[in-house]
Amino acid sequence: MKETESIFGQLLNAGKKVLLFLYKKIILGIFKFFKRIIMGFVNFFINLFKAAKEQPKAFFKGLSSFFLMGLGQLRNKQWYKAIPLFVVIIVFLAIEISTSNYIYALSGEISQFPAEDKLYFFRDYGGFFTKGLWGFITLGKLVLGSVYRGETIVIFDQIFTWKSADNSQVLLGQGVIATVLILMFVITWIFSIKDAFQSHLKIQETGHNETYHEFIKRVWNDFFAYIIIIPSLILIFLFILIPFLFSFLVAFTNWTGRISLGQGLFKWVGFETFKQVFENPDWLKFFGDVLLWTLFYAFMSSVTVYVLGFIQAMIIESKYVIFKKFWRMILILPWAIPGMISLMLFRNVFADNFGLMNQVLAQAGVTDQVKNFLTSIGLVGQQTAGNIIWFNDPLNGSLAKTLIIVVNLWLGYPYFMMLITGVLGTIPESLFEAADIDGATSSQKFRYITFPWVLRATAPVIITTFTFNFNNFGAIYFLSGGGPGYPIDQIPQSVRIIGAAPGQTDILISWIYKLSFQSTVNQYSLASVYSILIFIFIGLSAIYNLSKLKSFWEED
Amino acid sequence: MTFKDKTARFFRRLTIRKGITGVLAYVWLLVMVVIVMTPVLWLVSAAFTDATSLEQVPIIPKISEWSLANYEDLFTYKSTTSQVFPDYVRAFLTTLGIASLNTVLVVIFSSLMGFSFSRYRFKGKKKVLLLMMALQMFPSFMGMLAIFMFFRQFGLLNNPVALTLIYVAGAIPYNTFIVRGFMRNIPKSLDEAAFIDGASNLQTLTKVIIPLAVPIMGFIAVNAFMAPWLDYILPSVVMPQRDTVAIWLFRYMDPRVSTYNPIKFMSGALFLAVPIMLVQIYMQKYLIYGLTSGADKG
Repeated sequence: MKETESIFGQLLNAGKKVLLFLYKKIILGIFKFFKRIIMGFVNFFINLFKAAKEQPKAFFKGLSSFFLMGLGQLRNKQWYKAIPLFVVIIVFLAIEISTSNYIYALSGEISQFPAEDKLYFFRDYGGFFTKGLWGFITLGKLVLGSVYRGETIVIFDQIFTWKSADNSQVLLGQGVIATVLILMFVITWIFSIKDAFQSHLKIQETGHNETYHEFIKRVWNDFFAYIIIIPSLILIFLFILIPFLFSFLVAFTNWTGRISLGQGLFKWVGFETFKQVFENPDWLKFFGDVLLWTLFYAFMSSVTVYVLGFIQAMIIESKYVIFKKFWRMILILPWAIPGMISLMLFRNVFADNFGLMNQVLAQAGVTDQVKNFLTSIGLVGQQTAGNIIWFNDPLNGSLAKTLIIVVNLWLGYPYFMMLITGVLGTIPESLFEAADIDGATSSQKFRYITFPWVLRATAPVIITTFTFNFNNFGAIYFLSGGGPGYPIDQIPQSVRIIGAAPGQTDILISWIYKLSFQSTVNQYSLASVYSILIFIFIGLSAIYNLSKLKSFWEED
Repeated sequence: MTFKDKTARFFRRLTIRKGITGVLAYVWLLVMVVIVMTPVLWLVSAAFTDATSLEQVPIIPKISEWSLANYEDLFTYKSTTSQVFPDYVRAFLTTLGIASLNTVLVVIFSSLMGFSFSRYRFKGKKKVLLLMMALQMFPSFMGMLAIFMFFRQFGLLNNPVALTLIYVAGAIPYNTFIVRGFMRNIPKSLDEAAFIDGASNLQTLTKVIIPLAVPIMGFIAVNAFMAPWLDYILPSVVMPQRDTVAIWLFRYMDPRVSTYNPIKFMSGALFLAVPIMLVQIYMQKYLIYGLTSGADKG
């Protein structure tokens, strides 16, 4: 009892420390951020003024790069820098113009339209970048009326009303991409200004202008560290960061599958969806249930696996057991079988009619006894004739939950068994010898030597396992599919209409998957809000881990 | 020590109290073996029957009644007559392609990253490392919705190469830390010697570091090759009309679909699981190495 208290106390203390740490970091971070921005502006203008006064020539070269990227480089007679920069401008403009309709706007098309007509200039004439930004801000417009851009729809001599809408999702996607590309363009621009200024100073100082070959060689040598990581960074940027950004933005819209794109629009709604999650009691209830179960599941599945792994390792390594290799070989099997296959195998094992478990129970003739036992400990809520329904009966929610943890135990213990077997081998013999001399019993040896040693060595892995299980989509989706659902009378009307209620064994990540990809639900904005909450949770544990890892910060 | 010596020593040391503990240990181990083996035997048993429902499958395989009917079906069934390969073989080849490309790209990219981060100091290094550290904790399918939208917009759905690139991007952060941890332990004096001999950065990498880093690259390669085989969630989103083996398998276990057939699942699963299991067991010794190099040297 005392020990559990102290563990609990330690956890509480750790939690407090993390919160305090975060609080400090965040406040300091915000403060520093604003300070840096303000100081940055001030310093920028001071430096600009200084530069203009002290190095007028270099300043004007920078200025010419400011007006036309690459012009300063050309004036420095560094054509090898100027040409790529010009190419960047040309490509940028070419994309913008080739995708735009400016030419029609210039030809005076606009003036032909009636003045009272609504007209969205960027929507109809803008190119990739301008239209992208426009779409990003407005998320598209709805056209409703009999005349649009001077055109009418006439069918059988009757004028029909226009009803069409932009595709907000495409606009948002293009908006994100356009914004990112524009940012990159601006960064290149700033670099070119800086470079024009500094190159001039360098030429003045050394009296020698770098040749093309010298430049290439210098870049290859000095920037080698950057050059070799750029491809990876681009991949990460394209396939991880931009999608994350997109998902993040969706949380601030009201996008659901009910809005049929092309006919309707979704809009920026700020924190509306967050409000729905945290203030609407119906949604709050489900969120609370799912979150609690996710935490409980992540905690239990990490701890049980660890304990059983520990026991197995101790038993196999004990002096009573011979043929250690043989036992290890068999008991490792669940680890070697791919998780998806074992999980779906267990779905068959616990199937209602043909499952192995029900077959075995029926053949042994103990189905009813087991059912009674499960009822008496509260796992089965309702007695039905025939087989035990493991995963599909809404009243057997706790049975399904227990089973998930048990099956996870089957899958997960060998990993810890191997890990702890490895760690047991690293305990110095001398510790045990000293304990023997002091007359320690074997339980004392376990308590004061083995256990603390192993715990210290494996603590980081337990934390990793916890975060892994927190997002262990497969363990839920392949095994129970999130089921059983809640009993119908427990699902509030507002949630049932949308069909978005989680199953009783759904953890956050599998609920998110259902919310966004189940075609009857498609609650994209809700799913994104929950994703952000997971981001925050994982972010917290990431920061905690970082604050513990000293080796990370040491310089090479 | 021979087997005989071992048993002799074992019995010499036996006392009654120890004997009881010993027996309990064996009972425990036997129970565990039964729990571990029963579902596995059932899987094997189901894979080699001609039964049409799992109810008829014996729990312990009966060798006399074995049948290869399931496997015959597996390797001949074509859903449309025009296709060259049977469905399963096709899914298998697609996944094999993804796994191979993934291996090559992950090894190249993470070695370059690891080399850069273990050998050079440069501006922004800590920030990038911090980003990697954070990214390796997020499952890459959290941005799935967006990936789906973008892929649809750019016509990349059902394109295995695009799927592979997501895998690669997702695997880089974790592997960067593994390679970095390993390369930090390669003495820097080697680089310096190479530099004095006039080697360029690239030559130092290819001629000095890479030959020494072969073990860790092998570890990464095997992991990268294994990862795509039974990944379900990403392919299910970005390859709706082209099967990988995981999607193929799941279709037989999805009660909402007409192809629902647990017996076929069992046979297909066994066929896939065996090679993966063998590689896993072989790779077992690297497990603890990979863990520690990831954890402490972070």
